[in-house]
Amino acid sequence: MFFEIEIGSKEGTILVRKIQLTVIQKDMCLLDIQNLSVSFLQDGVEYIAIKKLDLCVKRGETVGIVGESGSGKSVTALAIMGLLPSGISKIRSGNILFSPENGREMDLLALSDKEKQHYRGSKISMVFQEPMTSLNPVMRCGKQVAEVISLHEKLDHKAAREKVIKLFAEVKIQDPKGVYEAYPHEISGGQKQRVMLAMAISCKPALLIADEPTTALDVTVQKTILRLFRELQETYGMGIIFISHDLSIVSEIANTIVVMKKGEIVESGPASSVFTDPRHPYTQGLLACRPPLDRRIRILPTVDDFLRNEGKTGVALKESADNIIGIAERTDYLKKLYEKEAILRIKDIEVKFPDQHSFFGRTVSWKHVVNKISLDIYPGETLGLVGESGCGKTTLGRSILRLVDTCGGQIHYKGMDIGKLPAGELRKFRKNLQIIFQDPYSSLNPRLKVGDCILEPMKVHSILDNDRKRVEKVMEILKRVGLDEGHYNRYPHQFSGGQRQRICIARALALQPEFIICDESVSALDISLQAQVLNLLNELKKDFGFTYIFISHDLSVVKFMSDRIVVMEKGNIVEEGDADAIYNSPKSEYTRQLIAAIPG
Amino acid sequence: MPGFILKRLLYGLLVVFGVLTVVFLLFNVLPGDPARMMLGQRADINSVAAINKDLGRDKPIFLQYLNFLNDVSPMSIHNCKDDNSFWYLDSSKYMPFISIASVSFSKIVILKIPYLRRSYQSKKKVSEIISEAFPKTFLLAIVSMAFALIVGIFIGILSAIYKDSYFDHTSLVLSVLGMSLPSFFAAVLFAWIFAYLLADFTHLNMVGSLYTVDDFGEGEYLSIKNLILPAVTLGIRPLAVVVELTRSSMLEVLSQDYIRTARAKGLSNRKVIMAHALKNAMNPVITAASGWLASLLAGAVFIEYIFDWKGMGTVIVDALEKYDFPVVMGCVLFISILLIFINIFVDVIYGLLDPRIRKN
Repeated sequence: MFFEIEIGSKEGTILVRKIQLTVIQKDMCLLDIQNLSVSFLQDGVEYIAIKKLDLCVKRGETVGIVGESGSGKSVTALAIMGLLPSGISKIRSGNILFSPENGREMDLLALSDKEKQHYRGSKISMVFQEPMTSLNPVMRCGKQVAEVISLHEKLDHKAAREKVIKLFAEVKIQDPKGVYEAYPHEISGGQKQRVMLAMAISCKPALLIADEPTTALDVTVQKTILRLFRELQETYGMGIIFISHDLSIVSEIANTIVVMKKGEIVESGPASSVFTDPRHPYTQGLLACRPPLDRRIRILPTVDDFLRNEGKTGVALKESADNIIGIAERTDYLKKLYEKEAILRIKDIEVKFPDQHSFFGRTVSWKHVVNKISLDIYPGETLGLVGESGCGKTTLGRSILRLVDTCGGQIHYKGMDIGKLPAGELRKFRKNLQIIFQDPYSSLNPRLKVGDCILEPMKVHSILDNDRKRVEKVMEILKRVGLDEGHYNRYPHQFSGGQRQRICIARALALQPEFIICDESVSALDISLQAQVLNLLNELKKDFGFTYIFISHDLSVVKFMSDRIVVMEKGNIVEEGDADAIYNSPKSEYTRQLIAAIPG
Repeated sequence: MPGFILKRLLYGLLVVFGVLTVVFLLFNVLPGDPARMMLGQRADINSVAAINKDLGRDKPIFLQYLNFLNDVSPMSIHNCKDDNSFWYLDSSKYMPFISIASVSFSKIVILKIPYLRRSYQSKKKVSEIISEAFPKTFLLAIVSMAFALIVGIFIGILSAIYKDSYFDHTSLVLSVLGMSLPSFFAAVLFAWIFAYLLADFTHLNMVGSLYTVDDFGEGEYLSIKNLILPAVTLGIRPLAVVVELTRSSMLEVLSQDYIRTARAKGLSNRKVIMAHALKNAMNPVITAASGWLASLLAGAVFIEYIFDWKGMGTVIVDALEKYDFPVVMGCVLFISILLIFINIFVDVIYGLLDPRIRKN
């Protein structure tokens, strides 16, 4: 930009003024993305992943990018890093201007491979979504961080090691020296993400990109990691791009929020105004589809509700009194629910896994995962099971299906002792109890057509007389869960995450069960998809009269779904009671922590 | 790690014991008179009786078994006085030995090379036959596997990095060809091309073993160049397998998240491959290579025959042809024990490569 300003008659004055103007101009943006378009080649068809994107990140500012999966937010991050998969992606237009120091500006897209390697990790660093898989499993954690330091700062082994241990302490790892020597599988997910963070800040980058850094973590861990991000930014003063599908998480940390949809920015502005007063219906939808905590509603508004007919459906769902379940109605409903005989009675159930073995393979010590838990579950109720990962909630769920062996206690289903069923009987019995797993990506066989995948359990349990009838039934179920008949012959990889979870639900429905265990069934999904799946689960419950055990680490989701909540910690029940009561007046400190960790 | 190795060794010993028992049973309990099987139906009574006595056929089977274990074990107990005893310390059988303790007036404990009886053809000790043949097979197997691994991993990595390039396609086609080429055919083909057509340039012999007797029949000398053709021929199929395995395993590893992390660190491509991808990609290659090496150590019959390489394969086939059971039995024992130790060795390598295996 050129400014023609004449001040006085001295040549020098004019010159100085001109330079100052340019400096301010450059100081505006640490990272300036201009008119960026990226396309991908998929099955021979080119589609646009990012359309004419403009984005500015200032020094010391946190920019939050929000959007569903497929909205192009990760692609943006990878484009900045220069890590777009070669061969299938193409940058069609635009510049990414980066000025780590004042006045020196470079176009990241114009750099050679060698120059890119130089700024990656030192000037711009990145924290990825999956801490579980983002660290090399066969290399010690410390060495993975030390590698970056010796690469960019040319420190020797010993100095690098000292610096890594200092960094580990800075990201609040309890035992920095121990973690330095540990392999990734030996530390928890939260610690792994701290290691990733230490790696990212190790060379004092000017820009840090965090791509869904807390999505795979527990809510309580998420909270501490978010706090760590804020602290690190204060110390280092770097610009941060924080990517998430969840607007409420981003609003906790970002100064500026950018909402993306299908490769385009639909809304952007200061965090406070976007969060409290969203303009675009898409943003409104994203905000509304998180289960509300202050009231109990029947149907969650979804993003689609806001995008269709000018958002009227969404607004109606969000605001109408019809959608709110009143106190009187709920008391009445609960009273009827608990009058009945319990459908499942768990008594003193205990699960332990071998921890350490002696030299000859005998188990010396055990890890107690579930400690003598007793529970009654009533027909038609939804029981929420909530707690951090490792608290035993998943194991408890699986032990009910006898997918893991119990070491003590009894499970009675309608008066029948499941624990004593012989193998053949157990197989037949499993028809009544179905489970929907967490990860819709890995719980579907990739080589099986989805229709056959739903058909298979029906065959095993000889439901209906012949395959023709079964196929008809599968079609019916597919339609019921919001898919269509044409999907029968497709394979799982052709579906999105939300659709896959619908397939998993359909598979559970095929057996016409009475009891369904949802094990973190929505945790891997985007928040907008989460709302759709939760609504579907509730509809199905109303239609078929299911009883659910709903397992999740997210208390807000559990509260929306459940009639009664059981809070678990370290294999024990810490609190149990009416869902609203638990949320409104938690008795244990642990529950209070879980509530405090809910973002937004 | 030491505990891990010790545990594997103990398991290995148990398996060795099992193998010994099975081999003993196979050769002794199965129907048929071993003496007759060895000597043929027209043998005279005296020879039959001599063999039966030597084998202790007049003793109960349990004693025979103990004697067999005693013979095979490197540390054994013997009677050094009574030459009629079943346990007599027969110097023709057990020489050389070191006596380490005497248990009583007539019984001593010795350390020795396991006694695996004598060949019926050459009357040589089986242990001697093996110790002559095995080093040749060992060298051949190791060299051909080293050739396959070094070249194969290198080509595999390049194929993975330059996926869908001409190099990749060519190496894939060639490895399919290499895998489907029968070794006896490859051997003849290679011998013909390199030792006949191109003999003036390569100076290779069509056939020849590790040691060659010179033209005047005076003394043996080492001729390493005779190793080249059989080793390369033998290495072709493992090479093809290693290329394919390295390529596919590497491609999978390169798509992993931690490789993206490594790139995000600013590491160069070469470093990403060498420091992060390679170690993760090696497991399937090692599994395949160890199995292959084991089978090569048992002798590569075709190749050894065609190139007249006097290794284990040749020895076993000759012995089978002539019903020379002590040799067969000795070789079977030797090879199985060898395989057990290779397995332990490979387990240790897995542990070194992958800390997650070490923990379990």
